[in-house]
Amino acid sequence: MSVLAIHAHPGRMTAWILSWLLFITGITAYFYTAQARHRENPDDRVTPTLAQMGQAFLDAALKPAQEEQANEAASQSLAARFLDSMLWKDTKATGRRFFYSMALLLPTVLIGLHMAVFPYIGAFLLRFFLFFDKIIALSLLPILFIAFGIDELSKVMLIVIGVAPTIILDSFNLTKGVPNEQIVKGFTLGAGDFTIAYRIILKQIWPRVLNSIRLNLKAVMLFLFAGEMIASTDGLAYRIALLRRHMGMDTIIPYVLWVALLLFLVDLSMRVLNRRLHPWFQA
Amino acid sequence: MIRVEDVRVEYESKRVLSGIDLVIGPGEFVSLVGQTGCGKSTLLRLILAEETPSSGRVLVEGVERRQPDRHSGYVPQKYSLFPDKTVLDNITFGLEVSQFGLLAPFQPGYWKARKKFRAQALDYVRTVGLHESDAGKYPHQLSGGMQQRVAIAQALIMQPKILLMDEAFSALDPGTRSGMQRLIKKIWRETCTTILFVTHNTREAISLSTRIIALAKSNVEGQGSTVALDMPIPDPLPESEITDLIHHIEERTQPMPALKKGNTEPDYVVLQAPRA
Repeated sequence: MSVLAIHAHPGRMTAWILSWLLFITGITAYFYTAQARHRENPDDRVTPTLAQMGQAFLDAALKPAQEEQANEAASQSLAARFLDSMLWKDTKATGRRFFYSMALLLPTVLIGLHMAVFPYIGAFLLRFFLFFDKIIALSLLPILFIAFGIDELSKVMLIVIGVAPTIILDSFNLTKGVPNEQIVKGFTLGAGDFTIAYRIILKQIWPRVLNSIRLNLKAVMLFLFAGEMIASTDGLAYRIALLRRHMGMDTIIPYVLWVALLLFLVDLSMRVLNRRLHPWFQA
Repeated sequence: MIRVEDVRVEYESKRVLSGIDLVIGPGEFVSLVGQTGCGKSTLLRLILAEETPSSGRVLVEGVERRQPDRHSGYVPQKYSLFPDKTVLDNITFGLEVSQFGLLAPFQPGYWKARKKFRAQALDYVRTVGLHESDAGKYPHQLSGGMQQRVAIAQALIMQPKILLMDEAFSALDPGTRSGMQRLIKKIWRETCTTILFVTHNTREAISLSTRIIALAKSNVEGQGSTVALDMPIPDPLPESEITDLIHHIEERTQPMPALKKGNTEPDYVVLQAPRA
């Protein structure tokens, strides 16, 4: 049977090998290129070797952010050194903005829910959010900097403005997708409008909403990085933008992988949480 | 008592129901039969107050209702249970929210009442023929027949004046279906709840109900009392007798005369026994 047949299923080992093949190819191609470039020019900064990247990452993760603390750091434990490091300070700054944004995004689910459940609210808000959703959030960045200054608020607002309409419209559609039978059933069981909205509909759409937020994590990070790269004095994206000026690829690449790892962990924990909180949900 | 008076329903100039008049008395088990698209479910939704007629009115217990309420129990064909709740939580949900409202867990006396509700729900679990061990399961862990049993328990625990069932057994396999038919008949005999049962299966209607109302072309084509057939209907009904009965009802049912205002008695055509 051809490998491109719908019924051609790879065996377990083949599937495992296939799933890692592109990673292995990419890594091999990178290090092959790095070796070749370093043979030609030992001071090449575009494709750092594994040792260079490892050293740069250790420096970022274990050396203190302030040069003057370097002498004290040597006597500290690994954990203490990490908490004083540039990597941790950048991660903390980005993480703070990320969690503020998420905290502001969660209530937007209720806007979508109310729009779908209560026709008057829907009539009032739907057209506005459909239009709002089409505005490119990054184009609002100068306006946000003028309106809110270049501090934290403008960056958080950029994320909220960029992602909120998607979450609102997603929640709206998910609510509309709840079968009408469930609403009628709720009324016949003596539930009122708000009881139906919160105890029947919201509880049913919540795992899907969490999935929707999970799928929007990348958009959240994208807007956060844009804000940090343009106007910030700390954060992972600020550091990447800063190092770009010095061609610090040996730190940029580990930073990019660190961000990907963090995002992967947030995504994984949301998935596990969703499964634990909603054992009835199978999707 | 359900009274439907000269009800018309039109969707964008398409007539779905035209001039329906009906009276369903307390304790009756009425089946609404007819082919797909004849307006059975629309009529049920009108009685449920889920829809409003283009003209005419629907009175349940003498009141024209604006939206579905706990006077009516409802068992649809699909999506009858809340997927996020266990069997027991599905059954107790109505008691909880109707007595304690949205923020039930924060209301005084809730946790004490909850124990009582759960004990009551377990009785209903047994009444509908489920095992106590099913009480903690989620709807997706139950078969279609078990889900409908829970849906019936969920509706009955509220002690509704009328029970509206919309093709409630249509998605079930024949074996499960006949089991469900026996169950609903037993419950009806025990509780004397008024039941309006929508089905496109005439055989099912005959074997279950005391009266059949046949809808066709947006109107009541005929109706007849199976009680007045003056013969005990064996349960289950033998195949040969079902065919006889269907022929008989089809021959004898006649268009229903218009209701007179103030007439509280059901106006339906009483059939004669099929075999003299």
